Amino acid sequence: MSSLKAKEEQIENNQNNISEVIQVENLKKRYKHVKALNGVSFTVKKGEVFGLLGPNGAGKTTAINILCTLSQPSSGVTYVNGYHIVHQSSAVRNSIGLVFQETILDNHLTAEENLYLHAMLYGITRKEYLERRRELLKLCELWDRRKARVETFSGGMKRRLELVRSLIHWPQILFLDEPTIGLDPQTRRKIWDYIFNLRKKKNITIFLTTQYLSEAENCDRIAILDQGEIVALDTPENLKKTIGEDIIFLRTENNQIAEKEIQTKFPNHSIKWIGKELRVKVENGDKFLPVLVKAISPRIVSMELRRPTLEDVFLEITGRKIRDGNKEAEEESGPFSLYSLFSFFKNNE
Amino acid sequence: MSKQLKTLYIIWYREVLIYLRNSVKFFTSIFLPIIILIFFGTGLKTMFPISILNYDFVQFFFPGILGLSISIMAVSSTISIVWDREFGFLKEILVSPISRSTIILGKILGATTTALIQGALILLIIPYLGLDFSKFLFIKAMLIIFLISYGMASLGIFLVSRLKKIENFSIISQLIFAPMAFLSGAFFPLSNAPEWMARIAFYNPLNYGIDALRWVILADSLPKEEILLITSHSLSLSIFILLGFNIIITFLSTRVFNKSVY
Repeated sequence: MSSLKAKEEQIENNQNNISEVIQVENLKKRYKHVKALNGVSFTVKKGEVFGLLGPNGAGKTTAINILCTLSQPSSGVTYVNGYHIVHQSSAVRNSIGLVFQETILDNHLTAEENLYLHAMLYGITRKEYLERRRELLKLCELWDRRKARVETFSGGMKRRLELVRSLIHWPQILFLDEPTIGLDPQTRRKIWDYIFNLRKKKNITIFLTTQYLSEAENCDRIAILDQGEIVALDTPENLKKTIGEDIIFLRTENNQIAEKEIQTKFPNHSIKWIGKELRVKVENGDKFLPVLVKAISPRIVSMELRRPTLEDVFLEITGRKIRDGNKEAEEESGPFSLYSLFSFFKNNE
Repeated sequence: MSKQLKTLYIIWYREVLIYLRNSVKFFTSIFLPIIILIFFGTGLKTMFPISILNYDFVQFFFPGILGLSISIMAVSSTISIVWDREFGFLKEILVSPISRSTIILGKILGATTTALIQGALILLIIPYLGLDFSKFLFIKAMLIIFLISYGMASLGIFLVSRLKKIENFSIISQLIFAPMAFLSGAFFPLSNAPEWMARIAFYNPLNYGIDALRWVILADSLPKEEILLITSHSLSLSIFILLGFNIIITFLSTRVFNKSVY
């Protein structure tokens, strides 16, 4: 009994000292036919905003579900807040807050009832609940609507309420799975304001997934996930630097000739075909532009100079645009074939 | 322990709140059994003139309809677990640090409570049916209703907790609950049924539930010999079987739910 207590104290001490609140080592998840995660390793530091990026079906939600103990990994070692996600799952659940991809509020209940239900599930006393409720609801501008039923809320309000709910038990780590999906740009910006406000006030770690690359720029560090593997992990600035300082997109009447001319005159710059355009990476774009215009003989149709975005990084690393997603698996029989009439028995899967 | 009880309370509370707040569901849960008793009961009664039966047909019919109504109520309340899964709310509960057994127990007790509310309201019409009614009878009947609805709610959780879609529930209700209802003795006494039917009914927990209800509700209105004719099991055996069934099915439903995914 005493050794158990000593062990608990040891763990307790570890909690205060850990600098890496999420440690993932060679995480794998296999479903019947698909490898959703194929050996993923990374760590997240305390107080960091960590973004997990990737196209649809890259395994982002699978990763979040495993970290939140909602599904079990096939293999690999993972610690969240110093607790093992399989053996100490309820300790993990106590230290995290979650906002899922889909809205999962109880529509029958009012905003306040949803919050109170959550607070009770996490064993928060009534006094603490009342204090936090006021602070958080005011922060997310929902205080006036707290007695209204959730079914009367707009999409943005629901999201904000979910954010409040996920924070009512003061989690160490906040998981946000596509927190702004399906929201209009204005609401999206607001949600991000709240998130960063919270982080400043509470010093919590935020782990998020997103498809919007412009939003990912706000993260401290980013991991790009593609087909179950992490293909890049760094700060947004460093990731962009791997592309080069500036990018010039160029379209001429004869791109082949232009390409050859650039290759011979500026052998240091890399050129790549992107669709019908040529992409040239350069150090000092604004000074290089006039030089480039003089150097090529075919007439220029269009020309664009820009700093690399994360989209360019993704393009470079995965070789395709993030929006394209994964290729759909070929179906065994086409739609509306007689065979597929019988397949409805399989729909329960 | 008190923390577990608190979370149990909140899960239970949500179930009951949703039932009471959904006024349509609340109203129909009371209205339908009364309609059946008035129209169906009166209609069937005309087929059996008093001279054949030594008892009033309503006396036979009422405990059966009561038992079936509360069973349906208990089972249909457990569908909330499928709703919760389909609309994602189950996730919110599953990622909280409370144990899955607590979730299940809260859900079962919540469903049982909705059935108890319904049962109590139906019991209150007893005096208007020409049956003897007393406080003592009410309490005894409520205890039996608790045993039946708890068992049916657990059975509901056991069958439903792996369903991903609401539509699939109709399969379960047709394959399992419809035969259970027909072989429960609610519509006709199983004491005269052919042997193969009686043999199947022997394994039907609802049969024991309806019998127990008959013994308790008709105790003041009918002599013992008459009740013996329309039941197949004694009161003590029925209660014993119900208790045993409840314990086993609680254990099984917890096990199934523990293995189910969100």
